[in-house]
Amino acid sequence: MNSSLGRIGAIARTTFIELARLRVFYVLVLFALVLIISSSFLARISFQQELQVTKDIALGAINFFLSMLAIVATAQLLPRDLEDHVIYSVLAKPVRRFEYMLGKFFGVLGLLVISLVAMSILCLAVIHLREGAAVRETMQQLAQSPSEELDHALVGVHQAGANRDLVLALLLILTKAAVLVSLTLCISSFATSNIFTISAMAMVYLVGHLESIARDYWLHQRAAGWLVRAFLAAVVFFFPDLQAFNLSDQIVAGSSLSNLMLLKLLGLGVIYIVGYLVIAIAIFSQREL
Amino acid sequence: MTEPAIRVIDVTKIFPTPFRRRRVVALQDLNLEIAPGEIYGLLGPNGSGKSTTLKIILGLIGPTRGSVRIFGRDNSAVAVRRDIGFLPENAYFHKFLTGAETLRFHAKLSGLSGRETKSRVAELLATVGLARAADARLGTYSKGMLQRIGLAQALIHHPKILVLDEPTAAVDPAGSRDIQNLILSLKKRGTTILLSSHLLTQVQEVCDRVGILHRGKLLREGHLEDLLAIENQTELIVENATPDLLDGLEREIAAGKARVIARRKPQTSLEQLFLKVTETGDE
Repeated sequence: MNSSLGRIGAIARTTFIELARLRVFYVLVLFALVLIISSSFLARISFQQELQVTKDIALGAINFFLSMLAIVATAQLLPRDLEDHVIYSVLAKPVRRFEYMLGKFFGVLGLLVISLVAMSILCLAVIHLREGAAVRETMQQLAQSPSEELDHALVGVHQAGANRDLVLALLLILTKAAVLVSLTLCISSFATSNIFTISAMAMVYLVGHLESIARDYWLHQRAAGWLVRAFLAAVVFFFPDLQAFNLSDQIVAGSSLSNLMLLKLLGLGVIYIVGYLVIAIAIFSQREL
Repeated sequence: MTEPAIRVIDVTKIFPTPFRRRRVVALQDLNLEIAPGEIYGLLGPNGSGKSTTLKIILGLIGPTRGSVRIFGRDNSAVAVRRDIGFLPENAYFHKFLTGAETLRFHAKLSGLSGRETKSRVAELLATVGLARAADARLGTYSKGMLQRIGLAQALIHHPKILVLDEPTAAVDPAGSRDIQNLILSLKKRGTTILLSSHLLTQVQEVCDRVGILHRGKLLREGHLEDLLAIENQTELIVENATPDLLDGLEREIAAGKARVIARRKPQTSLEQLFLKVTETGDE
């Protein structure tokens, strides 16, 4: 057991080093950072709206870049190891194929966590600074107003700033990226090139964000029969409902995320991750190298 | 009776092609036995089934029929690989890792402790002559250096069996000689070595036995001296013989309805044998 964890850890560490030493990782993070910073110069409508727009852009940028990083980084792992014949020397050691796949998964996950932490720190710092400025300007503007009005305005500013829901939104973005990693590994386990994997994942990404609209239409606005329901269930399995993890709009709009909802979404993410990894390992175990 | 280090039993490998319109028979009823401590050379032209044989022995692909046993145990068990070290053909390894990191990674995969890893990595880097390049990334290594780091990772866990796929390909003559010397020193320590190669002279220098594969079939196999000897000729090496004695011998031979062809050993080269066998497909 310990030696198995040791092998998974060694493969995860090497995968992390491989990705961290590739320039693409830095470029993606740089782009995200630039986007987050630029958001603070946008939308000078009101302090509250400015904070909301900043949060909206920051969460959108982090969501997009983390998802792209998850897909692009994972898609190249297996083809690269096959091309460089690395896989032969690794699997000729007492390494089980599930250990190899889990090592790859956790290696990419480590990269995503560090990327998310870096982007989140910047995002929270920008929002905190804007919030502080908004509080000061609100106090100056409403200095002559009744204290109730000032308090009400300040509550509005704080609600639009950094709060618990913002952190939860970031956690859900990470869960969604982890789902994408496991599905990308699943496709990689039988794909012959990373171009195929990335193309397939681009389709999954698109369908995964739109399927909830189609599902709502079929289930709520039309009387769906068992055939349609079975088809929709198959679509949900093969194309994870990515939109379910995207609560940025609600959180930016000020809606609070309940603990039950959070647990449901995390549970859904874990089910997707485990399901895709089990399939990926089953396919890869049978693959002739 | 000692168990063979490697035993390949009636192995056939068939690769289906897309849509299963036809199939490719990569290996047909292959039988091999390699004794502990032996150096066995697997020869054959491109596409003859050498790499497929090595991959099946290592459990990277499964046979369509037949089985492989390593020291008497079925090779599908992962634990069997603790006894095997493998150098793949044209291995580039992780270009972003340094030489020392590469060896530490493979040591961890092989289950070596931290202390053991440290001493083994230093020892192997010195053995393969890469101690000064230990902290350089593999992306900067020459092909010869990559081959040497590949050999080091194959040896990291003190394997009883070493499988080498084209170990001296793209290595300069001096480096090639170093690898040959290393193979011979490993043999002295009792390591069993299975190698595939196109470089027949080197195979001739290091191998105890060779097998020649062609189109998935083992056409010839045996000890080098048996394979290389010309069947209907005899070499008589005589020390301190006078010309009169040799003339007398020749007369005796002529009287016995035999014929002296030359006074030196007539012997074919391994290369000639290889070409003759693979061109004619003679079994």
